[in-house]
Amino acid sequence: MSGGALDGAVRDGTAHGSAPPVAPDRAGRPVLSLRDLVVEFTTPAGVVRAVDGMSYDVLGGETLGVVGETGSGKSVSVLAALGLLRTPNLRRVSGKAMLGDVDLLALPEPDLRRRLGRDVAMIFQDAISALNPVQRVGHQIAEALRVHDRALSADAARTRVVELLDMVGVPHPATRYDQYPHQFSGGMCQRVMIAMAIANRPKVLIADEPTTALDVSVQAQILDLLRVARQETGAGVVLITHDLGVVAETADRVSVTYGGRIVEAGDVTQIFTRPRHPYTAALLGALPRLDTASDRLLPIPGQPPDPSDLPPGCAFAPRCPVSRGRAVCTEVRPEAVPDGSGTAGSACHFPDEAAGLLTARPEGARAEPAGAPDGAGEPGSAREPAAPVLDIREAMVRFPVRSGVLARPSAWVHAVDGVSLRVPAGRTLGLVGESGCGKTTLARLVLRLVEPTGGQILVDGDDVGKAGRSQLRRIRRRAQMVFQDPYASLNPRLTVGDNVAEPLRLQGLPYGQRRRQVADLFTRVGLRPEHADRLPAEFSGGQRQRVAIARALASRPGLLILDEPVSALDVSVQAQVLNLLADLQRESAMAYLFVSHDLAVIRQVADEVAVMYLGRIVESGSVRRVYDDPRHPYTRALLASVPVPDPVGRADRQRVPLGGDVPSPVDPPSGCRFRTRCPIAAAVCAEEEPPLRLVAGGHTACHFAERTAGMEPGGQAGGQGPAEQTAAPGPAEPAAGQGPEVRG
Amino acid sequence: MYGYLVRRLLQFAAVLLLGSIAVWGFTFALPGDPATVLLGPDASEAELEATRERLGLGGSIVEQYVSWIGHAVAGDLGDSYYSGQPVVGELLDRIPATVQLAGFAMALTLLIGVPVGIVVALRPYAVVGRVLQGYLTAGLAVPAFWLGLLLIIVLAVQLRWLPASSDFVPLWQDPGGALTATILPATAIAVHTSSVTARFLATSLGEVMGKDYIRTARAKGVPERDVIRRHALRNASLPTVTIVGLQLGGFLGGTVVIEAVFNYPGLGRLLYTAIGERDYALVQGGVLFVVAAFLLLNLLVDVFYAVLDPRIRLT
Repeated sequence: MSGGALDGAVRDGTAHGSAPPVAPDRAGRPVLSLRDLVVEFTTPAGVVRAVDGMSYDVLGGETLGVVGETGSGKSVSVLAALGLLRTPNLRRVSGKAMLGDVDLLALPEPDLRRRLGRDVAMIFQDAISALNPVQRVGHQIAEALRVHDRALSADAARTRVVELLDMVGVPHPATRYDQYPHQFSGGMCQRVMIAMAIANRPKVLIADEPTTALDVSVQAQILDLLRVARQETGAGVVLITHDLGVVAETADRVSVTYGGRIVEAGDVTQIFTRPRHPYTAALLGALPRLDTASDRLLPIPGQPPDPSDLPPGCAFAPRCPVSRGRAVCTEVRPEAVPDGSGTAGSACHFPDEAAGLLTARPEGARAEPAGAPDGAGEPGSAREPAAPVLDIREAMVRFPVRSGVLARPSAWVHAVDGVSLRVPAGRTLGLVGESGCGKTTLARLVLRLVEPTGGQILVDGDDVGKAGRSQLRRIRRRAQMVFQDPYASLNPRLTVGDNVAEPLRLQGLPYGQRRRQVADLFTRVGLRPEHADRLPAEFSGGQRQRVAIARALASRPGLLILDEPVSALDVSVQAQVLNLLADLQRESAMAYLFVSHDLAVIRQVADEVAVMYLGRIVESGSVRRVYDDPRHPYTRALLASVPVPDPVGRADRQRVPLGGDVPSPVDPPSGCRFRTRCPIAAAVCAEEEPPLRLVAGGHTACHFAERTAGMEPGGQAGGQGPAEQTAAPGPAEPAAGQGPEVRG
Repeated sequence: MYGYLVRRLLQFAAVLLLGSIAVWGFTFALPGDPATVLLGPDASEAELEATRERLGLGGSIVEQYVSWIGHAVAGDLGDSYYSGQPVVGELLDRIPATVQLAGFAMALTLLIGVPVGIVVALRPYAVVGRVLQGYLTAGLAVPAFWLGLLLIIVLAVQLRWLPASSDFVPLWQDPGGALTATILPATAIAVHTSSVTARFLATSLGEVMGKDYIRTARAKGVPERDVIRRHALRNASLPTVTIVGLQLGGFLGGTVVIEAVFNYPGLGRLLYTAIGERDYALVQGGVLFVVAAFLLLNLLVDVFYAVLDPRIRLT
């Protein structure tokens, strides 16, 4: 099977950086338009109005970004429009969902069904669970064809599906047809979803958080593919996401949702440069940036609105910096006011004041380069004498792979393979890498939540690996951990106060003293002490993460291990937590090991950065060195993959995504582990593992670190593939990410 | 898939071997030895010795087991202490009857349980769903023997539609007769077991209907009937397959009470009597059959699992 039309387009599109968006047919009528959509659920807390009069249009050939935080109604609205909401507590769906001339909400079930998957197709978040685990992948795509074309023979469908798989960049499509979803990686599953969605050349493609569960390098591949799928089908695309960067990279127009409504709609450039709603402006201010670290993020105070109790006026008024308690904001619900250019508009009483918020921001953003009190310090320079709080030397963790309970290990997972790191007091080390690179294992290793296979971990000079029970307990008091999921990491049956008091109780503090300290801790993390008697379920995600931080602080640790502490939080709340962590560090000079997959967050919080790939550090150094002068091709590719929340100049931006997926840590590539995906890999890379060595004031493990500086990220023009691109994939390992299928 | 099958077969053989040792060994846990039981307390030492020789009770423990299992494999489980007939023959008289009843009961269980489970899962709030949920609760609560008696009183004694006591009529000789003879005891069993099956199916189907891939199928435009048939049921059937396998194993082990109520000549009653008569050879043989049947069903369940779910084949 040679490359299909779409495949060729992928290569073309990526070779020129991001392809220029097709000029949408502005004059044409919308292919999908929602009008005054209202969705209500019945819950024990009363009627919840998840969507509160939402309206938007999508034109053929354009991408509409629908962006908003959790619970803003952005996903529920399309699911309701397509009749895919089937919960028994669904109370009411009203309004109109016009697909061309027909109102989907008024159609009887069989007529609606005939249009689903044919005229309007959906791409879901978390593609692995969106595919049926017990059906062959090819059959699932073929089904999309055959339900709408009963005359299509099984053989013809198979041929067409293999073409589709080839189009979306699934290697070996004929073989992959007969495989099952669990044999595919997350990115490959999303490609399958896309193939399924475009199979019938729909008029509307709805992508609901299509890249949320994916790593940045894979996200970039999928976004490119979506762009090409739009070009290929001419469909209008609705891209639902919480990620402003994704919107800025891909959308032509944007609708911002808040409290179940569209609060602002407009052209993507206008939204990002001249927002006319304070929420949009505030969201942009709360977002950590990859290009510049601001001193301080500007979080949106308070919590997102409770959809069971929406205020009578503007839903954003309680958090709004523009409202300042003006009566009209709390009493009159603002309707979207078009600003003259057609569909654009802002649902704010004072749209002209909103843009001012954005221009008021730079004082923070520009402060850093001038002063640079800490951030730019070279590692190992003047401040080195202070003994590091955390000193990891050649740490190694291997997990056995066994085929049976009693069987001898048949292989080893090299989760962490010879990593050395140091974190001095009062400083933050950011540890960044894609899923499966071993960063979480390394974080757990510090508290010996996993057993080290080799190396040394010293916390304040005490060897964690050799510590006995009581010494380990003392070490764990000085080094505390904050986990990713604040919903799972708090005991739901204990009050938040008891959750926080637990470490104090273990130290044998009497009750009264514990209460006092808990109240103290609550104040420090910005929670109200009188809420200590509530259960975790009564708190929102951001508040729970504050509780988790308070618990970590209870034993007065000198070291906090933060494992993706803000990845489960919305942007506005994420900024609150990041600022809190910065404040706490300034007060107490704690050392932070901050683990995250989000490069912008790491840039915001860290002094020094270590980039991990397949169990090894490939690059480390000060934030400036790693972000502004990255020398390792992996770091360069990662940075180039992150969508930048700034649509200006996106067409010229170099964005060549990394091909494929991270190889299996069971059998890492010989020599340099990155070489299978590296655009500049040469023969020496397969033979010699490059050591981490001093390059340009930081450490880089690449044979060609001196030469990468001037190169475009990943922009090797020729098709110089990795050495073993032609090697047959091992039988146990699906051929998921072999070969650079999306590289020029 | 092939490797998975081989592994499961080896496991089956190993567990069967251990099971046979346990079955054989249980006679040693009893007071006295089989020879004493057989000949009574007045037997002379010489008579005992001769009987032990005849029963293969001489030699070391290992020798005794090897000789017993060797005979068993060759189809010789010894003679019944009580009737003096070969145990294998006694068992073979009853096993077809038991298998036939088990088959009928299982067919009824599935015929009732699967549709009821589906309806309860998909229409939990509709009238029909609520009524069937009532059936499930009642089916679990009503004892099978009481239901059996009720069926006899109403259908056999009062209405005279069906025979009250069920002889074994082989299906291959007289299908109609087999049906009338087996339908009452099978129903008495199946009301209970179908409630269990339906409950399991309803729970797992209800869970599967909320999965993302069901939403994907609907978004493709697949008709709801096919969403359930092609996407939901196969995923939901796994726990139910386990339960059905266990239930069938239970049927094969004999449904003592039901056989007693209907005076049905099945394996359960044979073993029940044999235990009362301390006919250890017969008990040993019968239990060995039950153990083997259970293990075989388990093997089939595992294989069926692998057919249904590709993820299991590859682990």
